[in-house]
Amino acid sequence: MGSRLGGIFWSLVFLGVPVLGVATFALAPSYNIWLPRDVSEHGASIDSIFMFILVLTGVVFVATEGLLFWFLWKYDAAKAKGAATYIHGSHALEVVWTIIPAATLLFLAIYQMNTWADIKMRRPAMTPTVEVVGRQFEWRLRYPGRDGMLGTRDDLFLTNDMHVPVDEDILIQLKSMDVLHSFFLPNLRIKQDAVPGMKIPVWFKAKETGQFDIVCAELCGWGHYKMKGRLTIESRADFDRWLEETYAKQEATQPAPEDAVTAAAD
Amino acid sequence: MKSFLQCVPLSGIAGNRSPGNRLRLAPGALLSLALIAACIFSSGCGATPAASYRLNMVEATKQRLTTEQERQVATVLLAMFGTPDEPVAMAWTGLDEAKLRLASGPVRSDIVGRKNGLYREHCAHCHGITGDGMGPTAAFLNPYPRDYRPGIFKFKSTERADKPTHADLLRILRNGIAGTSMPSFALLSESQIDALVEYVKYLSIRGEAELALMRAYFELDDDAEGKLPETREFLVDETVSPIAEKWELAAAARIEVPEMAADIDLAASVAKGRELFYGDKANCVKCHGVTGLGDGQANDYDDWNKAIVEINKEIKGGLSKAGETSTSGMSQGDADDYRKQVAWLGKFSHVLDGDALKPRTIPPRNLRHGIYRGGRRPLDLYYRIHAGINGAPMPAAKGTIPPEDIWHIVNYIRSLPYEFDGELGADRPMVARDRF
Repeated sequence: MGSRLGGIFWSLVFLGVPVLGVATFALAPSYNIWLPRDVSEHGASIDSIFMFILVLTGVVFVATEGLLFWFLWKYDAAKAKGAATYIHGSHALEVVWTIIPAATLLFLAIYQMNTWADIKMRRPAMTPTVEVVGRQFEWRLRYPGRDGMLGTRDDLFLTNDMHVPVDEDILIQLKSMDVLHSFFLPNLRIKQDAVPGMKIPVWFKAKETGQFDIVCAELCGWGHYKMKGRLTIESRADFDRWLEETYAKQEATQPAPEDAVTAAAD
Repeated sequence: MKSFLQCVPLSGIAGNRSPGNRLRLAPGALLSLALIAACIFSSGCGATPAASYRLNMVEATKQRLTTEQERQVATVLLAMFGTPDEPVAMAWTGLDEAKLRLASGPVRSDIVGRKNGLYREHCAHCHGITGDGMGPTAAFLNPYPRDYRPGIFKFKSTERADKPTHADLLRILRNGIAGTSMPSFALLSESQIDALVEYVKYLSIRGEAELALMRAYFELDDDAEGKLPETREFLVDETVSPIAEKWELAAAARIEVPEMAADIDLAASVAKGRELFYGDKANCVKCHGVTGLGDGQANDYDDWNKAIVEINKEIKGGLSKAGETSTSGMSQGDADDYRKQVAWLGKFSHVLDGDALKPRTIPPRNLRHGIYRGGRRPLDLYYRIHAGINGAPMPAAKGTIPPEDIWHIVNYIRSLPYEFDGELGADRPMVARDRF
């Protein structure tokens, strides 16, 4: 026979679950472990669906865990009087707590369809801004040159350093040179597996300028953790200028000024 | 007073209560907990053992050094260059010790929050702590990571036999080497890349110094008694200082590249380039193939692998002959020498197992890929053709082919990946998905 103290202890342990669960989410932003800053156009709708599901499941979570705590506390054998009675269950209750979650899930499935279609199905009709090829362990980029076509002589080849213009539709053609990678732009809420043998379109529109991360989100080998790139979102003018400058460097027939450096400045 | 644990029964979980039920964990649970605790505590929280440089055993065995001599080399190197955690850069090396400190040692932050241990974080797992290109991941890579110790670097702006400039190595780190496992480190800061380049030079100078010291034993007079004279004059001025001088001269040895004619007719240049490509003077097709696919030949090695291949040949030949030779007809001295030779061959074979990667041939570059390891600028291709590739079978065209002709060949090479565009290219997409 357990003691009342034991009963109280374990009830409180189980109460800790919803308390800590809610506290984690409440405190996450101040510890910088919450969602990264969103600078994309569709990010807001994704984040709102996320929050909706979080609140919904959070409420159910707190309710069920709270109920569990309450039953542990109230019906502790150390203080409960009388034996437990066995019932065959309540059919009505079972129907209720099946129908309501099913309806909720159905609602969610339909509610998110528009956002999903925006991100995965309504491809903008345009030629790709850049072709991104995942490779162990870097992102190889290829910009179509002045002729606007990929795969021609005037393409610009880069590694890990992606620039896009702000406030414009961007279309990326995603490929992989070897194994599965996943092209992940945390600040744009974009994540798409790069599948070898497939050319997968990815699109977004950025609303703010700045420098952000490109990370690999599919384990691809020993260097997966360091497969990081840098995304620079800038104005159209800056972007064009950067393209020109970088292309000129690529077509250089004479050494660049920095190549004269014998030992770098401190 | 009962212990607290006795107030907290875990056995209520099954829903049954038997009288006199007290804390009783199932024996299996207790055992698992004990095992887990043992695993955690036996792995320990102490510091990992300090890293140390590996002696170049292939060269030591090749030079037939005794254990004493190996020890002497290790001592001299320790005094000259320090350890992986505490590198030393003496004045004659021309290296900046502050940068070496940034790159060396275990990964850690200093008071200012600056990151140290860059080499170990980014490079050591392929290039090895000693810079021997035999880190833990090296065996899985094709091509193998660079072994800095011979002091040979492939992709640079200097003449074939010269060292790369500091800027050449900065460029390699920043851009990576396309088509190999060498990644781009453009996301590191300028000072971090700079520190890493300095450390690579340090490892290279150290590696070459090691080779020079080991080879110096062969030149010793008998009265040296198999020991190198430990004088500054011998060790530094004569043996290792020339190595550092070559690095310092590198900047001045950059290839002068004449400008490509501004009004050049690209189509004509490409045609001329094709002529030269298939011609006898340049004879590119011998290796790169008449298709340009790099299928001209397939049995050559780069210098690093060739060294191992030749040693392997010698060992195999010697050991197979040993199986057929008997010492019965030899004099005592000859028989002793012979047996020592066979033992040495056996030892060498053993050393190679542990201290060398399996040799691989180096295929000539497939020029239709559009992937250029040393860089894709026309300038880079000019450097490759003019100076060849140090350490690889690619020969230097300097002297045989005038600069304008090299530019023609460069233009032809750059057109190769797109040569059939008119027939296969934009108007006939090769892949069904290609609807852009």
